[in-house]
Amino acid sequence: MVTKSFIYIITIALIGGICAESCQNPKVEASYFTSLDATVVTQIAYITEFTLKCDNTLPENYGLYAEVDGKSLTAARIGENKYQISWTEEPAKARSGVHQINILDEEGWASLRRARRADPAASVAPLLAIQLSHPGSYSGPWVNSEILATFISILVAYTALRNKSKILA
Amino acid sequence: MAAKLLYFVLFIAAAVSADDEPVLARLLVSKQVLNKYLVENMDILVKYTLFNVGSAPAVEVKLVDNGFHPDVFTVVGGQLTAEIDRIAPQTNVSHVVTVRSNKYGYFNFSSAEVTYKASEDATDVQYSISSAPGEGAIVAFKDYDRKFSSHILDWAAFAVMTLPSLAIPFGLWYSSKSKYEKLSKPKKGH
Repeated sequence: MVTKSFIYIITIALIGGICAESCQNPKVEASYFTSLDATVVTQIAYITEFTLKCDNTLPENYGLYAEVDGKSLTAARIGENKYQISWTEEPAKARSGVHQINILDEEGWASLRRARRADPAASVAPLLAIQLSHPGSYSGPWVNSEILATFISILVAYTALRNKSKILA
Repeated sequence: MAAKLLYFVLFIAAAVSADDEPVLARLLVSKQVLNKYLVENMDILVKYTLFNVGSAPAVEVKLVDNGFHPDVFTVVGGQLTAEIDRIAPQTNVSHVVTVRSNKYGYFNFSSAEVTYKASEDATDVQYSISSAPGEGAIVAFKDYDRKFSSHILDWAAFAVMTLPSLAIPFGLWYSSKSKYEKLSKPKKGH
């Protein structure tokens, strides 16, 4: 289910040549959704929608990019200052817990690409970070109920027959 | 010698004129329904992937999916309209939405519509549609549950029903066993 919560964010001050186009003092209000039932879907969806508030007015077409778990994603704009970041994952690889989403604007993204060309492990301070917690998806019971029923009935039958042979012996 | 020079000149001319193609963006959009089973009131996962196979960035990309009528489908995650400012050439962007249907039956998953400008200084808007996943059968929850639920309650009821046929003979044997054990004890006492 979608839960709204004020996410505790890490605001990183942009160093040096701050272009007026960047977001000053970004604050975010995010909600998220993840697939909780993995029995009907083939992939687990992670979707986060957030509203970005800045001290300055943002230019039109202010694009955002994100990096999660090594994946590079583009944020889609779904409304005024509202963005959505979404991806899917194989159920076998999807782990429950907190996923850290690092969000960068266009300049940050461009500088990250430049830094990565020189050194693949480079990273740039993100504009802001969102944490998406996934409680884990239900993919069916650990033991099927019919297997459990068979096992219990075999156990009862074995106990009964053993006691019977003990008495008769 | 002259022939070789002529061939060389022609080759260069061909090479120079060969890359005189228009530098345009071209978006191919795929809409996929990532579900094993389509069940009413359970998640239907729709993933839109926009591939830019052109040589210029696609700008002002707007994706709209009007195929999920709001009376029948509730959007539980994501939004069905999205705008992406810029898709670089030879890259892709994906957008995921989760909906739930409150009706069961056959449903035709139709295409989503995409509009974009084919280069940074283009003025005309390019219209495009995504692939359509086609018709799917959304199964009633009752039928899905009958086939796939864990039926723990049904097994518990079965266990309770078999209890009389096990408990009554056991009870009879146990009562006669304890009766005869009580009878045999005083003999030893003598």
